[in-house]
Amino acid sequence: MAGALDGVRILDLSWGIAGPLGVLLLAEQGADVVKVEPPGGDPFRAYSGYAVWNRSRRSVTVDLKRPAGREALLRLAEEADVLVETFRPGVTDRLGIGYDAVHARNPRLVYCSCPGYPEGHRMAGRPGYDALVQASSGQQWEQPGWRMGPIFLHMPMPSMGAMFLIPTGILAALVALEETGRGQHVKTSLFQGALLYTTQIWQHVEKAPAAFHDLMGKSYPPGIHQQMLFEVADGEWVHASVMSGLTPTKSQDELLGLEDPPDPMTFLTLPPEERDKFTVKRKEAYLTHDRDTLVRSFQEHNHAIEAVITMEEALGAGGSPHPQLVANGMVAEVADPELGETTQIGVPINLLGTPGGIQGGQPLPGEHNTEIFGLLGYSDAEIAAFTGEAV
Amino acid sequence: MHALEGVRLIDFGQYLAGPFGPMVVGDLGADVIKVEPVQGDGMRLAGKPFFGCQRGKRDIALDLKNPEGRKIALELVATADIVHHNMTAGVANRLGIGYEDCKAVKPDIVYCNTWAYGLEGPLAHFGGLDPLYQAATGLEYEAGATHTGNAPLYYRFGMCDAANAMLSVVGVLAALVHQRRTGEGQELWTSLLDGGAVFASDALLVDGEPVPRPRLDQGLHGIGPCYRLYETQDGWIQIAAVKESEWAALCGVLGVPELADDGRFAVADLRQENREELEALLGEQFARKTSQMWAGALDDAGVPNEIPVDTKAGDLVLFDADNERLGLVAEYEHPIMGTLRQFGELIQFSDTPAHVHGPPPRVGENTKEILGELGYDEQQIEKLFADGVVNWPQPDYPWTI
Repeated sequence: MAGALDGVRILDLSWGIAGPLGVLLLAEQGADVVKVEPPGGDPFRAYSGYAVWNRSRRSVTVDLKRPAGREALLRLAEEADVLVETFRPGVTDRLGIGYDAVHARNPRLVYCSCPGYPEGHRMAGRPGYDALVQASSGQQWEQPGWRMGPIFLHMPMPSMGAMFLIPTGILAALVALEETGRGQHVKTSLFQGALLYTTQIWQHVEKAPAAFHDLMGKSYPPGIHQQMLFEVADGEWVHASVMSGLTPTKSQDELLGLEDPPDPMTFLTLPPEERDKFTVKRKEAYLTHDRDTLVRSFQEHNHAIEAVITMEEALGAGGSPHPQLVANGMVAEVADPELGETTQIGVPINLLGTPGGIQGGQPLPGEHNTEIFGLLGYSDAEIAAFTGEAV
Repeated sequence: MHALEGVRLIDFGQYLAGPFGPMVVGDLGADVIKVEPVQGDGMRLAGKPFFGCQRGKRDIALDLKNPEGRKIALELVATADIVHHNMTAGVANRLGIGYEDCKAVKPDIVYCNTWAYGLEGPLAHFGGLDPLYQAATGLEYEAGATHTGNAPLYYRFGMCDAANAMLSVVGVLAALVHQRRTGEGQELWTSLLDGGAVFASDALLVDGEPVPRPRLDQGLHGIGPCYRLYETQDGWIQIAAVKESEWAALCGVLGVPELADDGRFAVADLRQENREELEALLGEQFARKTSQMWAGALDDAGVPNEIPVDTKAGDLVLFDADNERLGLVAEYEHPIMGTLRQFGELIQFSDTPAHVHGPPPRVGENTKEILGELGYDEQQIEKLFADGVVNWPQPDYPWTI
């Protein structure tokens, strides 16, 4: 496959969510990724999402605590363009594979670190599990729920921010490398990943009137968009939206079968109490409609609406997959060496000149030990000494 | 030197999923030029969301529907590496700034469209807002623990907008690496819908059947008895006792060491299976002391934990000494709104530092300067203004930001 990143070689020493998923975005644009796992395999292999986030790469196992293992890693790094790691600050230096050690062996290498918290921060030594960063960075307090107090974010938000920052930093450094001829140390963290999503809500603005903050302010019930969620028949839900960019051919209220609906523009100018009264009527009307029929009729008349479904349903569990995800190539069949025939998300970045693609299911731990270390001139006995695996 | 110094991006986008990506590219040192309607970007009325995706850009206010305006836009594109926007289907082509138009004036241009739904397909002609895609990819379903009978819950961070923008940043930079190495530009796209799907990418079917993944409890505390929020005597605490040794230590700290030997909770799978029972038992203990007391004891015992922080809408983070010292906070002066603080460097570079360098521009803040760079003289610039083709801040500037 000739992707945009064809010829870019990445060593992936990361685990968890942000590292593997961030690397995946690069792997599926053509980068050649080798996952470096401890003997016995990445302890996160049993976790949900592992098979998806770690696909499209090869795997070697290396015991980094043995001198021969450290040297093997440095040999790999000599041949690589990028290294990604997610240890706590200071750990790679103790292992002898920190930025300085690797940079000395390969000055062109881009070395990307993504711990829980930035190096030099008072939190840097604390454990960096996603939910802990959700708590310490204040994100749990920002999300309103059905009760007061912090809300656990099911979507692992700090990791899902850092997952974008990792490939962004690496690619920016690769662009700079074309000018400077030098690699460098690129650093981000789960904490910075969490900050990414505060862009609309965390701003200290000296002279802002209250109205400046209103639209994005925290409120109970949670926010303007929450009020566009409607229960329909059979306990299902839909999310209607205020805009589609298209001109509706019938109004929402007509499609719901409401009598004497107010003109939509007039409705917006009504006092809140009047609007609330009508909202009750709308909610009752929604309850009488079948979800999928309602979604179709809204869409046929140019209203933006989606059924509230699980991601598994979106992939096709129990019915048809979401038709637009299919059109986007986002419902992919992947043969997984452990799980068999799987359905996973596809490639979410579409480069039309150099199309990306999935490069196979997750590798087994050390599956490519012989292939990769053999090319570096290691004998089978030498490989066994630092991979912890029989050859 | 900054990583993307010398790279120029022309940003025709509006709302968030369009402009946020270019802002991030600008933070890396690129020269980002926002092309704004002469009557102002509609998002200025929204306040915060506008500030959240425009910092550091230069701004030219230009009427793209005027032939002169379109000509200037393409003159700008000819000086650029990247064009970025989130217009709905057909709009860019109608305006004469589609991929083919831009390629004609800059053959190696990287051209990115961030769509709502996608390039082609049954819903490709629709625009749409972030919450639709939180619904379509299961985010709202899981966020609200809808399987327990709750209503779905909207994440108020604009997640899918940000995901679309960030996917576009990764795509644009991958295309830029390719362009630098081969001289070839290209067109690319991402979407809000696919951004949502990335957030739920742990979802997986085997032979068409879902593989179970962790779900929230009805009270939205967490995804298991050892990885959740507990209410304490005076507040809350988040624990992450994921290792067997940490489970035993947790029981010790809570004063219920016998639970560590209880057959119902002997291994992680059983603790998950008997989740409600165990959560009630642990919850009873946590309610006996304050968050601070528990955090100290858990730290001493090596059980990962944090006290959830109420940052007062971010102020405690934006005025934190460590965050300031490490460059995680940006501060600049806005000509109308005064001192403004937002997050600072999200990525740090040892050799080519990030470039978080200025406030969101006013409408047409840099119009004259940019036209000057394109070779227009003062007389021509005044004529363009008189003809309504361009705009810049006047003494009676009507916008609040």
